[in-house]
Amino acid sequence: MAERMGFPAFIERVEGLTPTLRRFVLRKEKQIFPPVSPGSYAALEFGDGEKVYKNAYSIVERSEDGRELTVIVRLAPQSRGGSRFLHEKGRSGLPVWVGSVANLFPIVKTARRHLLLSAGIGITPFLSYLRKLRSIGADYTLHHFCRAEERSAFEALLAEQDQARVSVHTALPSEVGLADWLQDEAIATHVYFCGPEGFMKWVEETTHRCGFAPGKVHSEHFFVPEGGRPFEVILARSGRKIAVKADETLLEALEQADVDAPCMCRGGACGACAVTVLDGQPDHRDHVLTEAERASGNVILTCVSRAKTDTLTLDL
Amino acid sequence: MSGQTHVRDSYRPPFHVENSAETILRFPFPFPEDSYMYSMNVEPHVRGGPVDAMSHTFDVDEHYVGECAEKARILAEDPKRCMVLPHMRDAEWDFLELGMDSLSTDYPEHFTLKKEGNDWLWENHLLNISQSFVFGDEATLPQAPFEYMARQMQGDFTLHDQRENDLWMDGGMVTSQADWSLKFDMGMSFRQWHAPVPKASEMGIFDRGLRFLLMLQYGRPVRRLNWTMTINPRLDTSPENYMIWGEDRASVTPENVAEKVHLRVELQTLYRLPRSNAILFAIRCYLLPIKDIMTVPKWRKRLHRVLRDLDPALASYKGLDLYRSTVVEFLRPYDDGASLSTGIQPV
Ligand code: FES
Repeated sequence: MAERMGFPAFIERVEGLTPTLRRFVLRKEKQIFPPVSPGSYAALEFGDGEKVYKNAYSIVERSEDGRELTVIVRLAPQSRGGSRFLHEKGRSGLPVWVGSVANLFPIVKTARRHLLLSAGIGITPFLSYLRKLRSIGADYTLHHFCRAEERSAFEALLAEQDQARVSVHTALPSEVGLADWLQDEAIATHVYFCGPEGFMKWVEETTHRCGFAPGKVHSEHFFVPEGGRPFEVILARSGRKIAVKADETLLEALEQADVDAPCMCRGGACGACAVTVLDGQPDHRDHVLTEAERASGNVILTCVSRAKTDTLTLDL
Repeated sequence: MSGQTHVRDSYRPPFHVENSAETILRFPFPFPEDSYMYSMNVEPHVRGGPVDAMSHTFDVDEHYVGECAEKARILAEDPKRCMVLPHMRDAEWDFLELGMDSLSTDYPEHFTLKKEGNDWLWENHLLNISQSFVFGDEATLPQAPFEYMARQMQGDFTLHDQRENDLWMDGGMVTSQADWSLKFDMGMSFRQWHAPVPKASEMGIFDRGLRFLLMLQYGRPVRRLNWTMTINPRLDTSPENYMIWGEDRASVTPENVAEKVHLRVELQTLYRLPRSNAILFAIRCYLLPIKDIMTVPKWRKRLHRVLRDLDPALASYKGLDLYRSTVVEFLRPYDDGASLSTGIQPV
């Protein structure tokens, strides 16, 4: 069938930014990585022979000569192992497969002004935005929110930026007056935001309250698939039964069983992994399906969602 | 392709386009079955396929020089056949890189590309072009990057920006279209420019098609075939020139049908472009007269069956009403009703 998509690479350098943030520079031995548009992510595959981890990370930078890609990985407390593995065992020389590169969070090229709002690890897609926006002379502003102890790390990360256009805050968005700033933005401004769920919710509600049209508000959710109760999947076409363990995603269980299951972002953001549900009740955890699709219960995104029932029958 | 380096073809009166036996057999015949209904029929654009026209990223054939000359002539008469909005600048360079990389890799005897960092040297031996330039610096090329490259490739190209969960036609060079206009469709969204197709939208095809395209990945191009018919080997059947070609449709007689009526096939390929995240839509047009289709028994029988049983609404949409029955009557004696293999390959 279709040849495997992606590029073999290895870790070239690792830099600790904060106790929970590490920068990994990936290098390709031969040839070069394709150019990437700002806001792109790469689905990375790595492991130690015992287990293969597959996680998606924003591409912070592609080097001028195309040989290096940089990602920043946060040690997630609820991590199912991928980010912990990279933090503990991700040393230079470790092979990493760079799989599907895609962009679910592009800059709106027709926008007259761009307002970027990030918190914590949510800065990563904007590091590539900033470079581009600056090079084309666009009108933009970034407000970044972080904990007090992380301030210097993020300031260092943004040191080369136009300081008149970037601000790092250690107070909450509601405390520094972000709602008022949003209120003062012109109607043509596009707002982009990325960060932890609480931050996302606050910005979502505030932009809505300030009257931003939905087409001018853009976000990217960093979604770490969470485990849950084990359940069993029944593949209707073959009758096969596959157990989904507590700490593994439905998609991973399908892949483990050599089922040719579709996927792309692996984080509930693109919709590529949608599969028809014939029986059983899905436990939706994605950011893609509409309310109507959720309610119908006959489609599931296998990369993040699970089952409320003991078994789930899929059209596979 | 044969190494032809001069203009031999004429795509306007007096018409003169001849297809070698090889060109006939590599034609992307669009009917895998005896009946035709509109569908997405999208497949990965991988090297190799049922016919040779699909074996390269961009197909170059024996009409390359003639088609490029016709394109240059159309652009001289009407420069608005090429338009690109300013926010598509990155997509223009993406396109130029894809074009130069794939042509020089697929046809090293005709095209060469040397890169030293951003200093590039491009040579097109078929059109006698040798151009050194700085990648990313428009001032070092004689035309804007998209126009420069699209002039050196057969077929039409459109560039689509992706935003608000839709695809916007924000650039293109369109000189061999089947009755649609870049001037009219510029800036339109996917749903807007597909609105005229009958039935398909009721079938939800376009919603599914759009969702599919929004997820198109870099490095995984896809293709599909579309078709209609054209009288005389005219590449340019634009709405602007309807006065010129429209009346051809009433000129078909049982005597001239084999010569005049052409099956017009578009090999459409779609690519995600890496630095712009835009989508390139390449529409390569092939014209084959009935007389050439007659030389391939499977194709002439299948064409007869498809045209005979075609949904009248689709036939009208494709503008076949004035001559469809003449073509069917002409082909009928050559169809013995034998069952044919599925797929589009010649046997
Ligand atoms: S792979 Fe993207 S939503 Fe599941």
